[in-house]
Amino acid sequence: MNKKLWFMLISLVIVSMIVTFSFFGCGQQPAAPVQEEAPAEEPVVEPEAEEPVAEEPAEPAAEEVVTLTYTSLRTEDVDRVNRINQVFMEQYPNIKIEFEPVKNTEYDAFLKTSLETGVGADIVMLRSYDGGRQIYDGGYLVELNEEIPNFNDFTPNSIGAWQTEDGVIYGVPYFGSITGVWYNKDIFADYGLEPPATWDQLLSAAQTLKENGEVAIAHGTNDQWVLTETLYCDLGPNFYGGEASRQALINREIKFTDPRFVKAYDALWQLVEYFPEGYQAIDYVTMQQMFCNEQAAMFIAGSWELGIIEDAGVNAGWFAPPVENEGDRLQYPFYADLALGVNKDSPYVEEALTYLKWIASAEHASLLANELPGMYPPLTIDFEISNPLSQQIMDMAKGDDVDTTGQLMWEKLSAQEPSGETLFNEACQKFFNGDITSQEAVELVQKGLDTWYFTE
Amino acid sequence: MLNLNKIKRARYYIFFFLLPALLVYTVFMIMPLFNSMRMSFYTGQGIVPDQFCGFQNYIRLFTQFPFQDRIFNAFSNNVKFFLMVSIFQNVTGFFLAVLVTRKIRGTRFFRTFYFLPTALSVIVVGFLFKLMLNPVWGIFDKMLRGVGLDFIIRPWLGGSATALPVLAAVTAWHMIGIPLVFFTAGIDGIPEDIIEASRIDGINIWGEIRHIIFPLLKPIIGIVVILTFVGNFSEFEIVYAMESVQGDPAFATDIFGSFFYRTTFGTMMNVVSDVGLGAAIATIMFILILTGVIFFLRLSWRER
Repeated sequence: MNKKLWFMLISLVIVSMIVTFSFFGCGQQPAAPVQEEAPAEEPVVEPEAEEPVAEEPAEPAAEEVVTLTYTSLRTEDVDRVNRINQVFMEQYPNIKIEFEPVKNTEYDAFLKTSLETGVGADIVMLRSYDGGRQIYDGGYLVELNEEIPNFNDFTPNSIGAWQTEDGVIYGVPYFGSITGVWYNKDIFADYGLEPPATWDQLLSAAQTLKENGEVAIAHGTNDQWVLTETLYCDLGPNFYGGEASRQALINREIKFTDPRFVKAYDALWQLVEYFPEGYQAIDYVTMQQMFCNEQAAMFIAGSWELGIIEDAGVNAGWFAPPVENEGDRLQYPFYADLALGVNKDSPYVEEALTYLKWIASAEHASLLANELPGMYPPLTIDFEISNPLSQQIMDMAKGDDVDTTGQLMWEKLSAQEPSGETLFNEACQKFFNGDITSQEAVELVQKGLDTWYFTE
Repeated sequence: MLNLNKIKRARYYIFFFLLPALLVYTVFMIMPLFNSMRMSFYTGQGIVPDQFCGFQNYIRLFTQFPFQDRIFNAFSNNVKFFLMVSIFQNVTGFFLAVLVTRKIRGTRFFRTFYFLPTALSVIVVGFLFKLMLNPVWGIFDKMLRGVGLDFIIRPWLGGSATALPVLAAVTAWHMIGIPLVFFTAGIDGIPEDIIEASRIDGINIWGEIRHIIFPLLKPIIGIVVILTFVGNFSEFEIVYAMESVQGDPAFATDIFGSFFYRTTFGTMMNVVSDVGLGAAIATIMFILILTGVIFFLRLSWRER
């Protein structure tokens, strides 16, 4: 009896599955890509189809205003970007820019489907490295090498984020971040300390603070990205050889087991004793709050904290990652996050390029840096910034004894699993928690990269 | 003979009434399940992997360097997590249930009171405990200092030895209402005369638990264990809320749920996601949970 019951149940499930598959499955399986496109197409195609109809008679008649759509993943910037674009539109009255950002988590899927179905925006925002590269590889982007005259003004590592091996550039760097160290001027003044320029000065300042019962550095290891982006790739480059070593690693000239990378780990380990008690359980928000509440004297972080720190009313200053010995070349982390590209299928490529040329100018750079304090177009030429501290952070990127550098594992080394970034995160967390040695840390990363990147 | 056949036919007829419900269940549960299993045999970039690759995803999971370590790490963490939660939650829940079913004034209040945390969202619970355990301004370490227990203070959520037990304790605190409700219902269902008779024979509370409550509650204990097992092996939220999808520190709290999420959807920028591989992990999770459930079910059936 029981067996029969089971038999009936199972056969019913199978029957109903066959029924449902024949209803839904047939339409879905072969037509999966078509189905996906269809919903995206319908709502957007219609206005697009109207547009040329409306535009074509309008264009020869008036031959004036061209409307460019500009899509981005930063919905939080609508007001700021519109204010910036207003300046552009006053200079170029024949171009109208419509800023239409999409939620950051949905952006990539939106961008790909809209470009694929031919209804993409004229100007698109591109993520750095592999994210943007996928769009270029899909054949959707205009090559910019000949179009934008001043690519030389950008930091080389920021151009590299949107450049193929053959040197084709497909994005104009939009903004980037700088990492260094924030310090509390009042606490430093209490103990007669100066912002350190060399590693030994940093250690002795931290020692003084510790002896006086202050928390010297608000840093914890509970968030992995903090250890790579704002510790190893922030203070480490001066020890591992900065941009040159980063390039050598990407070009497979050296491995991550190179003594230079071990040396950087060992140097950074000296800071751990100045971290707060229980630092293994401290996450980024706690670090931020400790510095903003003046519970710690230093905060190793990025320029993007500027607004938050100023809002908190901390009398804060900034110094670049201290060099190992006096007179060494400073390796200053200044790397690009986002770029703008032009849709190849846009009817107004010329106008879009006019806009990108303006984006690459010093004028736009200072507008952006004032609207978004702490985020800068990665330009090495001078541009005006009204916030003096922001200006100071930026100024350190210029000069003959400075190399700007980027994040070690972002470029090429994270294109596949096991991605360099994941391994690097794990190695840093284990190392700074004191679970493994520096040698084991570099070997862990190299072991993963050996499986796909260092194969030849 | 004829009569019997008639009865049989009448019985089979019932199943046609089940068809609508089964159809819905098939569309929303069984089909996605099979679809995700099918996906585990595909590879490719993007949301829907499109290149068939046979068992490649499974081979990668069990032989390739980081995945191989990760999956066994996730498995052992999950087993530890399940055992710890079982002890913290179900054993405590059992004794609390015995207490609140005693005929003492005020037990009614405690029945509701112990269920309160279960009504909270996991994210809220995780966030609250994260704040309480914060080494800088958390109340927990301050309390320990207050009673002179400084020496046991640790970076609770940051140490690889303490993080997982802390998560298990938080989960147990949060979910204790569930076994409590099951057990109190079970104890309430024990016929009064049995207990009365044993009391006349002079049984004490331990004897009562050992010889009456525990044996009669065995089927319910079986159900609670199965529920805990399924819940713990598909747990994700508490890790997400307290230790991020990375299973910080350095994968010490990485369980199947977080491993699956990280692999399928990626973490932050420049970390690639692999939906096919994620589907393979989901399939393994499904098989594990299914085997576990069958195992526990057979155990409790045998008991009956």
